[in-house]
Amino acid sequence: MNRIPAVSASNVCLQFGDVHAVKNVCFELEEGRFLTVLGPSGSGKTTLLRLIAGFQQPNKGEIFIKGQTVREVAPNKRSIGMVFQRLALFPHMTAAENVAFPLKMRRFDVRMIPDRVKKYLHLVRLEGLGGRRINELSGGQQQRVAIARALVFEPDLLLLDEPLAALDRKLREEMQLEFRRIQKELGVTTINVTHDQREALVVSDQIIVMDHGEIQQDATPLEIYRSPSNPFVANFVGVTNLFHGMLESLEGQKVAIRISQQRLIGTLKSEKLTLNQGVSVKAAVRAEQVRLFRGQSENRDCEVYFEGRVTDVIFEGERILYELSVAALSDALIRIIHHDQQDFSTFELGEVVFVGWKSRDMHVFVVD
Amino acid sequence: MNQPVSQKLFFWTLVVISIITLSAPTLVVLGASLTSGNIIVFPPDGLSLKWYEALVEKQELQDAFIRSIWVAIICVFISLPTGTLAGIALTKYRLRKGALIQTYLLLPFTIPLIGSGIGLMLVFGEVGVLGSLWPVGVATAVINLPFMIWAVSSSATGLDPDLELAAQNCGAGPVQTFFYVTLPSVMPGIITGSLLMFILSLNEFLVSLLLVDARIVTLPVQVYNSIRSIITPDLAAVSVVFIAVAMLAIAVLDKLVGLEIFLKSK
Ligand SMILES: Nc1ncnc2c1ncn2[C@@H]1O[C@H](COP(=O)(O)OP(=O)(O)OP(=O)(O)O)[C@@H](O)[C@H]1O
Ligand SMILES: [Mg+2]
Repeated sequence: MNRIPAVSASNVCLQFGDVHAVKNVCFELEEGRFLTVLGPSGSGKTTLLRLIAGFQQPNKGEIFIKGQTVREVAPNKRSIGMVFQRLALFPHMTAAENVAFPLKMRRFDVRMIPDRVKKYLHLVRLEGLGGRRINELSGGQQQRVAIARALVFEPDLLLLDEPLAALDRKLREEMQLEFRRIQKELGVTTINVTHDQREALVVSDQIIVMDHGEIQQDATPLEIYRSPSNPFVANFVGVTNLFHGMLESLEGQKVAIRISQQRLIGTLKSEKLTLNQGVSVKAAVRAEQVRLFRGQSENRDCEVYFEGRVTDVIFEGERILYELSVAALSDALIRIIHHDQQDFSTFELGEVVFVGWKSRDMHVFVVD
Repeated sequence: MNQPVSQKLFFWTLVVISIITLSAPTLVVLGASLTSGNIIVFPPDGLSLKWYEALVEKQELQDAFIRSIWVAIICVFISLPTGTLAGIALTKYRLRKGALIQTYLLLPFTIPLIGSGIGLMLVFGEVGVLGSLWPVGVATAVINLPFMIWAVSSSATGLDPDLELAAQNCGAGPVQTFFYVTLPSVMPGIITGSLLMFILSLNEFLVSLLLVDARIVTLPVQVYNSIRSIITPDLAAVSVVFIAVAMLAIAVLDKLVGLEIFLKSK
């Protein structure tokens, strides 16, 4: 017997007119885990959360919480805490009143409410600020009130709809770790929505990548990063070089493809159905897996390499991003991330150098 | 800060002119009410409070004043719930034909008051309630309702629709959501609208004129009737009392919601 997942969805669809906001979404989330739904704007992330919270009903499919379908359960009867994209704190109440509101509405014992509110204000490090009105709090403090309000009644599930998107980068990274800390401390099952891939990789146990309402991949952060299941994921997560080409031959997972007259070897990542010679493919290489070297003698382990000219050098602090134009690949632009090591050697703008990668780092997907 | 003197002068002249123009009627009537003479003139003919004292004896003016207050209270009593619900509904639900309804609700502005007055007179006459005071309250509520709706919906447009979802997510049912979240959020609009309705109803003249008879005249009608016989300074005095009541209402408004909100509401 499998354990019953805390939340699961089977074939959930929601259409607005002819826009498929959410399409055939299936997933399972185990209790106590942190799931991030990652996707570009308009990919249906908020809609999926609203379906789970019960603000909208799916056209098709079912959502289950602890194995029970919630189709008939009104939003106020679901044990779900939510932090909204724009927080939606009650402006006419103080921070403490906001946090106490779910306890009042859910008929908790009145005598325990003050203690419970205090405990959660403490948890989000807002002790002493409970008496403030919402507009007397800073952005980061408001986020914390929203989190305390969502958690105070100890829900079975916590939903976070990009509550950090509006914060500046430093505060955002701080709050990401804060979420993680609180989530681990309470062990509450969490679904977080973001379009920030870094956040997704940092905080999650499980990531669902969405595009156009459909799940593109459902895996751990490491898997999402190391072995994206299609070109969309490869391109959306991390800095990736994508090439279009044609299949030449296949031998196990090793695949030979042709990209503008060059024959390259890569690793096939698509399901091997019946692959014919000549089908179009996309090849993806991560920017940090591309190597740069001045002479062929410096080449350590790149099976594939070309000459290229440096067209851009972007200094980003702990790393440098290079852009090279490769004549052999019809002047394709290749991006390379170079991390600072002890012997930080830099390449000059306009310099002609070698650029290459290992064939196992080039992931090949069949395009349908 | 370093404006040229001429610019400053121009600015202040404008301000002073506006203040004088706006307050002139009030100042004149206030001055006239303080006269010690027997005819209504401005500037006053000596100073005294005797016309205010005279008011105490003028039973019919007092009665009319109290009736006017009643009419205003009935008006608020009716328009507060209806206007509030209509204002919220109009903004919250993107009603099909919403624009049409909005235009329809503006009709009372476009129909000359005399027209709606006669219409209401016919209706109330038909039902046989002419001669009581409450139809006057109902009439002022009907005529001025758009102000109430406008005040509430301007408050409600600024309302984040997620607030109500957040309330549900906190466990509030539809009724609790309405009373704990929706209503408090539009409260400034409700207070503004109610006071506006109170003042408008208190001052309503034309429609009252058509709906009242000699037994139930309201204050503006009473003053009008008196003017047609002899104009005595007690009319100025009662006007001042009237103005004071309106100012009091504004002061209450300021206390409750802050005038800034009132001025900012579109
Ligand atoms: N109430 C609605 N009526 C019509 N279309 C809608 C509605 N809500 C969402 N959509 C559409 O559904 C799609 C998914 O929207 P959704 O808000 O879920 O995206 P999102 O992934 O949350 O985007 P973002 O990152 O910008 O918040 C979009 O194309 C959007 O236009
Ligand atoms: Mg969204």
